[in-house]
Amino acid sequence: MNNSIRNTFTMKTARFIALLVGLLVLGQAHAQDNVTIAGNVIDENRQPLGGVTVFAGRPLRALGTTDDNGNFRFSVPANSTIVFRLIGYQERSQSVGAGRESLRIQLAPDANALEEVVIRGYQARSKELSTGSSFGLTDKDLPDVPTANIEQLLQGRVPGMNIQLNTGAPGFRGSTQIRGLSTISMTGSGNQSFLQPTSPLYVIDGIPMDADRATEFGFQQQGPGISPLSLIPQEDIASIEILKDAQATSLYGSMAAYGVIIITTKRGNSPIPRVRYTHNSFVRTPPKLRETLGGNLERQLKLQQIYGNAKDYLDLWLIAQTPALSDSLNAYWNNSTDWQDYYYRTIYNQSHNLAIDGGDQLFNYKANLGYFSDQGIIRNTGFTRYNTNLRMEYQPADRRFQVIGSVTGQLGQQSVGDGIGMLQTGIAENGLSSTLLPPPSFYQAGGSHASAISTDNDNATRLIRSNLEASYLFIEGLRASTSLSYEFESKTEDTFTPAAANNQFARVYSYNGRTTQLYNRNSLSYSKGFNDTHNLFLNFFNEFRIAGRQSAISRQERSPNDQLQGPIGFDGYFSRGGGLLNDYADERAASFALAASYDFKKKYVLDLSYRLDGSSVNGFENLYARNPAIGLRWNLEKENFLADRDWLDYAALRLSWGVNIIPTGTLERIYGKFNITGNYNGQQGIGLDFDQIPNPNLMPKTNTQYNLGLDFSLFDGRLEVIYDTYYKKVENEMFEQPLSNITGFNKLFSNGAGIVNYGHELFLMMRPLPITSDFNLSVSLTGAINHDVLLSLPDNFDGQFIRWENNVNHLQHVILRVGGASLANYLRINDGVFATDQDVPVDPVTGLLYQTNGQFFQGGDPMIRDLNGDYVLDGFDYARTGNSQPIFTGGVSILLSYKDLSLMINGSYTGKRTILNNALAQRLGMMSNPFGNRAVVPLNDVDMWRQPGDVATYPYAYDYRRYGTVQPFRYDQTLWAEDGSYFKINNVVLNYRLNRDMVRSWGLDDLRVYISAENLRTFSRYSGPNPENVTNMGRDISEGYPVPRTYNVGVNLSF
Amino acid sequence: MTNTDMRRHAITYTILLGGLGILLLVGSCKKVLDLPEEKEYISENINYGSKVLEPILGRTSLMGQFNSDNSSLPLTFEIVNARYGDGRPVTDVFQTRPTYVWIAPYDGKEESLEAIEAKRKIEERPLFEVRESGQFILWASTNNELIAPRPTDSSNLVQDIRFFDLKVSNSGGDVFIRDFQLIPWREQPYFPFTDTNPYTGEPAPDPADPNNPDKQNYIRPRLTNVIGGQSNRPLESNDNIKDVVVYIRPFEGGNGHNLRLKFMAPDGSFMNPDVFNETKWSELIHGFNVVKTEEYVQYDVAYPIPLVNLKTQYTNSNGGSASLDIDYSRRGFGGGLTYAAFGLDFNIYRPGDWEIVFHFRNQLPKFEDE
Repeated sequence: MNNSIRNTFTMKTARFIALLVGLLVLGQAHAQDNVTIAGNVIDENRQPLGGVTVFAGRPLRALGTTDDNGNFRFSVPANSTIVFRLIGYQERSQSVGAGRESLRIQLAPDANALEEVVIRGYQARSKELSTGSSFGLTDKDLPDVPTANIEQLLQGRVPGMNIQLNTGAPGFRGSTQIRGLSTISMTGSGNQSFLQPTSPLYVIDGIPMDADRATEFGFQQQGPGISPLSLIPQEDIASIEILKDAQATSLYGSMAAYGVIIITTKRGNSPIPRVRYTHNSFVRTPPKLRETLGGNLERQLKLQQIYGNAKDYLDLWLIAQTPALSDSLNAYWNNSTDWQDYYYRTIYNQSHNLAIDGGDQLFNYKANLGYFSDQGIIRNTGFTRYNTNLRMEYQPADRRFQVIGSVTGQLGQQSVGDGIGMLQTGIAENGLSSTLLPPPSFYQAGGSHASAISTDNDNATRLIRSNLEASYLFIEGLRASTSLSYEFESKTEDTFTPAAANNQFARVYSYNGRTTQLYNRNSLSYSKGFNDTHNLFLNFFNEFRIAGRQSAISRQERSPNDQLQGPIGFDGYFSRGGGLLNDYADERAASFALAASYDFKKKYVLDLSYRLDGSSVNGFENLYARNPAIGLRWNLEKENFLADRDWLDYAALRLSWGVNIIPTGTLERIYGKFNITGNYNGQQGIGLDFDQIPNPNLMPKTNTQYNLGLDFSLFDGRLEVIYDTYYKKVENEMFEQPLSNITGFNKLFSNGAGIVNYGHELFLMMRPLPITSDFNLSVSLTGAINHDVLLSLPDNFDGQFIRWENNVNHLQHVILRVGGASLANYLRINDGVFATDQDVPVDPVTGLLYQTNGQFFQGGDPMIRDLNGDYVLDGFDYARTGNSQPIFTGGVSILLSYKDLSLMINGSYTGKRTILNNALAQRLGMMSNPFGNRAVVPLNDVDMWRQPGDVATYPYAYDYRRYGTVQPFRYDQTLWAEDGSYFKINNVVLNYRLNRDMVRSWGLDDLRVYISAENLRTFSRYSGPNPENVTNMGRDISEGYPVPRTYNVGVNLSF
Repeated sequence: MTNTDMRRHAITYTILLGGLGILLLVGSCKKVLDLPEEKEYISENINYGSKVLEPILGRTSLMGQFNSDNSSLPLTFEIVNARYGDGRPVTDVFQTRPTYVWIAPYDGKEESLEAIEAKRKIEERPLFEVRESGQFILWASTNNELIAPRPTDSSNLVQDIRFFDLKVSNSGGDVFIRDFQLIPWREQPYFPFTDTNPYTGEPAPDPADPNNPDKQNYIRPRLTNVIGGQSNRPLESNDNIKDVVVYIRPFEGGNGHNLRLKFMAPDGSFMNPDVFNETKWSELIHGFNVVKTEEYVQYDVAYPIPLVNLKTQYTNSNGGSASLDIDYSRRGFGGGLTYAAFGLDFNIYRPGDWEIVFHFRNQLPKFEDE
């Protein structure tokens, strides 16, 4: 009692004194004295903290920063308050008196994840109040690995985000899916079957960007396939946040149906201008290539194969007619050419990035200049990026007005040789050539080799984006802001094929296209608290977007000579024209969104949001798409019964529901396409294009998602857990129905298909070592289980649809069956290999052996199941099998540091996925014709049937005479279906920050060196080279671009 | 720790664990999510190429072009509601009889009857059944007595036709294909059966003179360069001229699985097979214990002939019939050898002692040198 009275008294006295001092200060304002303060700033471990900005005055003005020993010395007005700020630590204020003072300041870390800020509907919100499911990473979480595409660095880091690095082509991107499958639309055929990409929406510094635009036409896209994501330098990224559930994404509307990835670039934050330079030197090496037998070994093997499997004398006769086999002394055939060596290489690359920033809260600026080069491991391919990003921010001291301006310029240059980037068909084909053929030379200039090496392909994407953002705080809590951005992207592709590669006539191909986007967003937000009990936040905004795209090609089939590469158009006869491509777009979109958030003592949070999306491409029936969402959050640790549990940092339950509507009806699908169709009686005729029936009733795709989440952190952040479970329903999925030819049309776009994804996501972060230890270890595990189920198909299919593969060499069909995993293969079932002739079943009725194509099976042939029981392997013997989409995805990330040395290891895994090993099918199939001009491969490592009685996995490869009928290596069998589970060590980074005193003596501010390696090792039972380097339909194709291994040395220094 | 503390603890853990439990339950249970169950697919459009089955009794027939329309395999098939067109139930076709079933592949290289018999066994089977491929089987154990064939007057009245329905099912459901018709032909124990009317089993009318009851059609051999002994013209066997005809007929006194080749002269006597000097008798028929007499060549054979539809050295090029080629040579003009051949592609379905008789009706072939 006494104590408290005394306390009150003291406090009252203190206030009184303060008032007096204040009056004195006011009275003597013009005669203010400066005092010198000096001191030392330490962190929670009593270690000195350098780089802490010290502010004083009103408004606050930066005085400078502490040195690396945490010491500072400044002159400040007497009796003022000085403020210490450092990112990652809580702000600390300290009053100084009139005399000289020596201060010791301890800053507390800003460790609690809940005080992080998240972005919702373009507004920064406290994570403590967010109801949706999201995951954030900062630049510190990203490994120092040079990469063209920042998505790669997120692999395995975000629970529920499945990133597959399925191509190594420089400048291209792999596939990204958040929470499983969102579409069943497929394009292309054969190995080039391609699942329509459903990438998340990228919002870069508040501007939405469509990451799919480079790949929406699958492998067959025209123009440069440079992913817009490849144009963002990783050095410029400050933070990345991934929004997963519909509550979080619905405010971003239709484009956000597949999730949102918010990227915030770095901003200026240094009172003293700072120059940072990052350099990487890296070597990319191709993976292990296909082994081939060279020279005489090839000839011997082919001859042995013929001797061992010949049916009659004609085979031996044919040897005499095949000079490659019989005329071994002929110089033309007496070679051992390693063809793959001509196409694959180890390549050395560099990247440079220079960032200059400076300023404080009032005004700050940043400029980032970057250069990145990745010359591909396949010759004549590569990617080079130049980029600049300028940003400035001005906010007067009263923080009412804020203006941000930025300009981004990016140039990506790429060469894909004579391939199309992700597919290098020409290279793959040439790599199969017989080693007996002479190597490429002047004499042997022609054909596909010249095409692969000498085709001059130059793709360029040039992008410029400017952004101006301003906001004003009218009254406390009410802020209006507006943002305007314009983006212009120009894409060109010039391909020149020299005469030697194109039947003695040079060919010129040219593509040009542009994409523009004018984007405007206006928002009004209001926040108000009542007695710290009821808090209300309202956010209303609208967005307007004018997006355009137009591209054209021209092609000159023959140019006069190799020197005339343009301008072209000298000869109408050989012009193959081109003109506008059908990807033309001119879209006007307007959106209106309202979000309301209410919380009671920050304990119970309710989020409501609603967004209307209108677009000129929707058609009038469904002009506006409506995206509502509700979110609830319960911060458990604020409840009384948990209040004194000091082992619990926080715990929260989240529940959300939301809908994203994606219009799929384009004007063409809804109203049909009309073509000029010749004339009738002198009148120009315009008729309907009979490719598709217009469908005015086409409904937009509806994405409904429920999410239930639990977050908690225990023992001062030693253990952090984020758990989410979700149920995502995609309805009214657009479905392309092939029509019977009696309808007069080819196809109909209709609704009626639906998918459900449900699953669990878990993020686990452990920091097992005590906070006082010199060692720091953090281990994070992410894991996700996702099941997708086909919910429905259009009624007339009665629950099953087969997407027939028409390429007779492939026949790997895809089957959709309601109730099962959405994308399964429709294949013949392989049960092994017939060990002996006696193992082949006999038809009890006819007495004939099991047969195919009129050929009876025998020992060494594949045991393909006769599903319909007629003892003939025919077109009916197919069954649904496998699932091309993975069930489990996730990763591990380990960060271990000791003082200035740190080691980061990132791994990712994918589990339970069916891969069709078409590369192996092709490799074994290379033995089908010993008289041909293909290379032969050693098959010692293959578990192949060799003699009667062998119980083997793979059928006999050398029986070339029966190859055409038995087709032992036919693609459409489950022999190639393998489990594609893998665990990959994505990257390892070893980082050392040099002693600061030493660095200072060199005139530098900071110096950090690191070595890193990427794509180090993949652990998998898969028999192919890389279970990840497969198409998104799960097919391992040898035409694909292999994913290289990278070794890097980097340095990061600042002045 | 006080009581309230304990209770608080309990509440804490209950909430945390309970919450987690609910989450797991909601996320994992497929029933809660109201998802459609995956089941096998059975198409409503499964069908057959033809629903009228017209097998010939006495031989094993595999019938039916089933189109599963990509229904999930295997399917099960069941014949239901077998009835005559007037509603009487059909039972005769479902009686079981022993019949040969193959257990190993016949390849035409077996060196004894036992080797052949080791490749098949006798099983009790319904005369008519459907197997899992959707193919219908009429076994060789059928005959005119067990199953009444179509009427001899060639009428096709609905009350004489056996109808049945087929129930096709997998775990995805059942589909009924209705109103199959089974209209068997009477037995044709051998092929070519051109000498017999398939409706009645009576001799077939002569195609050149169909209304003459004294004439009939015959089995005709193929003839190559067989010159008539008297006429000096190539012998012919067609609708108008029948220099040579063939009889395939049972004979008495064999061991039950004998096959004889005989060559009948115009006078009804049998020729010595040795005159066909180029014939390799032992490679002519897949038979054993060849007995050659003045009148015939006899083999021990396994029926049916050929045993399976497979091209062997004893069959024609598509393997559907056994092929006989009787060759002889003589000196032609200028002294060179001239070859002549005649033969027949034939099948014999009914086990027994059979003889194949080539009857030179008008004149003997010319064996003398020119």
